[in-house]
Amino acid sequence: MRILIVEDEPKTGEYLRQGLREAGFVVDLAQNGTDGLHLMEHSEFDLVILDVMLPGLNGWQVLHAMRERGLQMPVMFLTARDQVEDRVKGLELGAEDYLVKPFSFAELLARVRIILRRGRSGNEPTRLKVADLDLDLLRRRVSRAGKRIDLTAKEFGLLELLMRRQGEVLPRSLIASQVWDMNFDSDTNVIEVAMRRLRVKIDEGHDTKLIQTVRGMGYVLEAPEDQ
Amino acid sequence: MLRHLSLTSRLTVFFTIVAATVVLGLGYLLLLATDQHFKELDRTTLEDKQHLIDEILTKSNSLGDARSRLSEALNHHHGLHVLVKVPGGDVIFQTNGFGDLAKDFSADSIQGGHAQPTREHGEGDFHAVHSQSSPGYDQVKRLDVTVAIETAHHQKFLTELQGKLVIYAVIATLISGVLGWIAAHQGMAPLRDMKTRAAGVTGQQLERRMPVEAVPIEMADLARELNQMLGRLQEDFLRLSEFSSDLAHELRTPISNLLTQTQVTLSADRDAPTYRDVLASNAEELQRLARMVSDMLFLAKTERGVDLPNKERFSAAREVQALLEFYDAVADDKRICLSTHGDGQIYGDRLMFRRAVSNLLSNALRHTPKEGVVQIAIVASAKTTEITVENTGQDIDPLVLPRLFDRFYRADPARSHPDSDGTGLGLSITKAIVEAHGGNASARSGGGKTQFTLSFPH
Repeated sequence: MRILIVEDEPKTGEYLRQGLREAGFVVDLAQNGTDGLHLMEHSEFDLVILDVMLPGLNGWQVLHAMRERGLQMPVMFLTARDQVEDRVKGLELGAEDYLVKPFSFAELLARVRIILRRGRSGNEPTRLKVADLDLDLLRRRVSRAGKRIDLTAKEFGLLELLMRRQGEVLPRSLIASQVWDMNFDSDTNVIEVAMRRLRVKIDEGHDTKLIQTVRGMGYVLEAPEDQ
Repeated sequence: MLRHLSLTSRLTVFFTIVAATVVLGLGYLLLLATDQHFKELDRTTLEDKQHLIDEILTKSNSLGDARSRLSEALNHHHGLHVLVKVPGGDVIFQTNGFGDLAKDFSADSIQGGHAQPTREHGEGDFHAVHSQSSPGYDQVKRLDVTVAIETAHHQKFLTELQGKLVIYAVIATLISGVLGWIAAHQGMAPLRDMKTRAAGVTGQQLERRMPVEAVPIEMADLARELNQMLGRLQEDFLRLSEFSSDLAHELRTPISNLLTQTQVTLSADRDAPTYRDVLASNAEELQRLARMVSDMLFLAKTERGVDLPNKERFSAAREVQALLEFYDAVADDKRICLSTHGDGQIYGDRLMFRRAVSNLLSNALRHTPKEGVVQIAIVASAKTTEITVENTGQDIDPLVLPRLFDRFYRADPARSHPDSDGTGLGLSITKAIVEAHGGNASARSGGGKTQFTLSFPH
């Protein structure tokens, strides 16, 4: 998976490149829109991360120029401006997503993965399995090491999200949005409490702890041998 | 063109026009009346003379007698001319200097003794009457009598009067213009005073006000309105500057923590887990800062009065239900009984509504002791839908209640950096959202229960 970052702020660009590279992507960085367009025309990218406020050509203009030249790769906007009109404009122009600075890296990574996954349409699995944890989507049953675990509807949804995205660190805001449809930052510890309760049901009594807290980032579900 | 004139100039112009009209009108009336009066006087004089002549003629016993009597009675009258003659024939009597008048006032113009209009003759104007009378010495004979009076001195008087009136009118108009200007200028004094005061109002001196008592009634309203405007501005300005300093203060503590912690960590070699720990702690702190900044921006945007672009009609109960599911785990954890009843329609932004109620719920759950109760009541009335979040717990000081919605306000000052990583903006955001919908937020506390009510208009 190859990603192009167009970002004029050198520090931000460098950190994004490092972070995405470490997450397993091939990353190119352009400092301005013109260089970005040049790179896009000469190599294949799966995703372009575009800063809106660029010197010379701004993000909107770059996207416009891309579509004019028939470059159809998905685009994610980064911006320091949080105006509804901007958001609407970005999405109207055909951007896949819109992230407002300051954002957490975990959030960016999670969204990048969502966009990249959209492109690949595969058969929806009916069963998710991580180590000895088994989730049956049709019968809505969960068992670990063959032993049935009772979950509430929301706990089931939470576990399903973690298992579908196993190995990915999911930030709290993404979890709140995906499981509870709460699309705003709230200053509650709801996610912590919900995760703690889920963890008790899933991991208690087992030697291998599947659900991990990544401090300052979010939560991840993975089998220890994958680490 | 009037629009470009100052108010004082306009008033002066109006005053002058009014004064000129009045003075000229009066002058014209005066001239007319005087003229009328003179004519009346002339007519009376002429009639008197007519009678006199008639009497003399009637009493005279011969032509010579009539002549000498007429001459005696009339010749020394200056400006009076008399002609007595036989119709179409000899002149019986004529005053000196009547001369050519005879032609003008000829017999053919006699009309039964009525006064003829004034005629111009030679150097002067005359007013004449004709009549016929029979002399005493010859009862059968009828004589034409013409009496004329010079009106030149009247005309002269009138002309002089006219001239004087014009001069007076000009002077009076000029004086009233000047007086008008002075009056207008004086009248505008309160306005200039207000202008001076308004010029003195700056960011630092917003407490200045317009003088309401000192200005005329018409301007008092304006002054009062301006004062109210200044009051609102001052309030907003104060809030804004307080807010800025609050913000700086709120940011200073976490930034200073971050800086210290990072520098201390850098000052010596540490092992990997320590670094990870520090970074994680920094990340947490930074996330809180980031959220605070987003909250601030959201608040600024909402308070500025956004036009909610995604307005729709939705059921409050359904949104509250979704929130209850979200907070279910937290409530369960503290064994708090969380419930809702009632329903109502809301016309607004669904996401914003959720956020507003979510802040109230999170706040209520934070302050409810274990095994307490949090209830959400939705009551729809004719005009509003009210959402009340009630929780059990310690009463809140009534003095503190109205401040709860202030930014960064925390009821307990000791917990200026609470373990629950709130930004201190939750309730302000809730209030701003409700107000953006045209509603209002209020808080009550007493008897071990605290209520927050959001009232949304339909």
